[in-house]
Amino acid sequence: MNPHQLVFWILSVIAIGGALGVILSRNPVASVLFLIVTFFAVSGHYILLNAQFLAIVNIIVYAGAIMVLFLYVIMLMNLNGDVEPQKSKLLQFAGIISGGILFLVLLAAFKTTQLSTTPINASTSIGLISELGQVLFTRFVFPFEISSILFLSAMVGAVVIGKKD
Amino acid sequence: MILIITASIIGVVLLFASFLLKHTSSLLHLVTVLFAALFGVAIWEALQPTAILTQSFYLDAIRVDRFTNQFNVLITGCLFLYILLMKKHIAAVGKYKAEYFALIAFIMVGIFMLSSFNSLLVMFLGIEIVSIPQYILAGSDKENLKSTEASLKYFLMGAFSTGFLLMGITLLYGATGNFMVSEFNFLQATSINPIALGGVLLLIVAFGFKVSAAPMHLWTPDVYDGTPTPFTAFMATIVKVAAFVGFMRLFQTSFTAISSSWSLVLAVVIALTLFVGNITAVFQQSVKRMLAYSSIAQAGFMLFAIISLNAIGRQGMLVYTVAYSVASICFFAILIKMKDYTYDGFNGLAKKQPFIAALATIYMLSLAGIPLTGGFMAKYYMLKAVLFEGSYMWLAIFALLMAAVSVYYYFKVIIAMYFKEGEAAMIDSFTKEEKLYLTIGALALLVVGIFPSLLTGTI
Repeated sequence: MNPHQLVFWILSVIAIGGALGVILSRNPVASVLFLIVTFFAVSGHYILLNAQFLAIVNIIVYAGAIMVLFLYVIMLMNLNGDVEPQKSKLLQFAGIISGGILFLVLLAAFKTTQLSTTPINASTSIGLISELGQVLFTRFVFPFEISSILFLSAMVGAVVIGKKD
Repeated sequence: MILIITASIIGVVLLFASFLLKHTSSLLHLVTVLFAALFGVAIWEALQPTAILTQSFYLDAIRVDRFTNQFNVLITGCLFLYILLMKKHIAAVGKYKAEYFALIAFIMVGIFMLSSFNSLLVMFLGIEIVSIPQYILAGSDKENLKSTEASLKYFLMGAFSTGFLLMGITLLYGATGNFMVSEFNFLQATSINPIALGGVLLLIVAFGFKVSAAPMHLWTPDVYDGTPTPFTAFMATIVKVAAFVGFMRLFQTSFTAISSSWSLVLAVVIALTLFVGNITAVFQQSVKRMLAYSSIAQAGFMLFAIISLNAIGRQGMLVYTVAYSVASICFFAILIKMKDYTYDGFNGLAKKQPFIAALATIYMLSLAGIPLTGGFMAKYYMLKAVLFEGSYMWLAIFALLMAAVSVYYYFKVIIAMYFKEGEAAMIDSFTKEEKLYLTIGALALLVVGIFPSLLTGTI
């Protein structure tokens, strides 16, 4: 096992453990903290894939901004107890069955897939900001520009919903 | 292509208008002019000599073909009718009048993207641009608790379905290695990649959410009922049809080769949608809620265009766009004037307003699919499309049965108007212009019902 693989396995264990922690912990604040752990582990994976920019953005935007907002809301609303109403047993059972079936289908799909053994020939600079900028302003210029409409409408919505009449 | 830019500019202009224009009446004039201009641009684009060819823009991120142009003309036409009929009511919903119209313009940007995408990224952005302003419009009546509930419910459900959509796109990208819809070549592979099939399955679920197909329809009645009525009329018609066009575009261009793997799933979804929509609609007391369930039932018919994968299905989609949108928009325009949204609220409308009652009858007949109306032709094309393929006879027969059930609840409105005694109390009377627009809508339905080749002849 080379060091690269070792790091991959350690990060994977942290990521999956963190994700399980998010859904298993009863305390919402603990859930959010577990989610931050997961994001850091995923950022580690990005670095392993040579996508440094994505890794940094993932930490700044998700672990930094959004999670702090989550924590803030949870603490402001004083949700840090076990206040979630209990679902009925039937509903829980139905949830387990349907979720399990979806998991089985996806697992079966992955199991029968032949993974390609030929490595992808990508240049080493593929995850750097300059490369990303090049792609964003050439191949993906339309999706990139049009997403401004999405953000503009979301901002308008925040004002319309949030402003006091 | 110019249409996308025009719609974006209209949205921005309206945002400026929100603080530059002080009077509501001048805002409403501006709105009328702007959306008429949008309609004009759509027609102009469709009349270009190149409009019959397939053109690609922005390194093939967008591909405009003949169907796109025709659909864009029809949908902007429906939007214009909607604006003419509803602008007064939209302005009365809340304080942020211009913003509501701006959000509608932004939704149109998303709709034009859905009718012309060639990249999964553009499709995803289109769906999000259509969805996010809708969450806001659903919650625009902030005083009303039901509106807020509708907004939150729609947002949570929509975010959940977006997760499915993204996962599906991810799996497809992982399996095929590209985003371009027209380049997925499943036929060349010696064996179909199972991961791609998982992606297709998740895409069916995600689109099922957006078009409210059963069993992903549970948000629909509450959201449509709680949303302020002018916006329900928009969400249930124009936006829904656009989601269908995106659905159809993706599945017809990319997944035809592997249709044997997913069409049975879709057939079960269609049967469930028709059953749940029609049977539940029968038991509704409120006409607005009945229309919500009827939109689920009509979605079942529109799904035929996706499962049939042929040109007749595409023609049927165009006819359905007009027949369903126009009838629903016009009927919502009548419903919004009623004081009481239950069936009893319509009692005796024929005595009080014979002309309006006659128009409402035409809309109801069209939704039920009675011959000579557009609704009949729409259903006829959909059934023809699926019978042409030949493998889903049972589904067509089931759909006919369910269409017969739907006659019951549509006719309940007509019976209330004509054969029951009552007051039919109204909040507001109809102006001359509104009557004119309603008549134009009814005439459009009749014309489509008698000469459907006007819409379909050129495909």
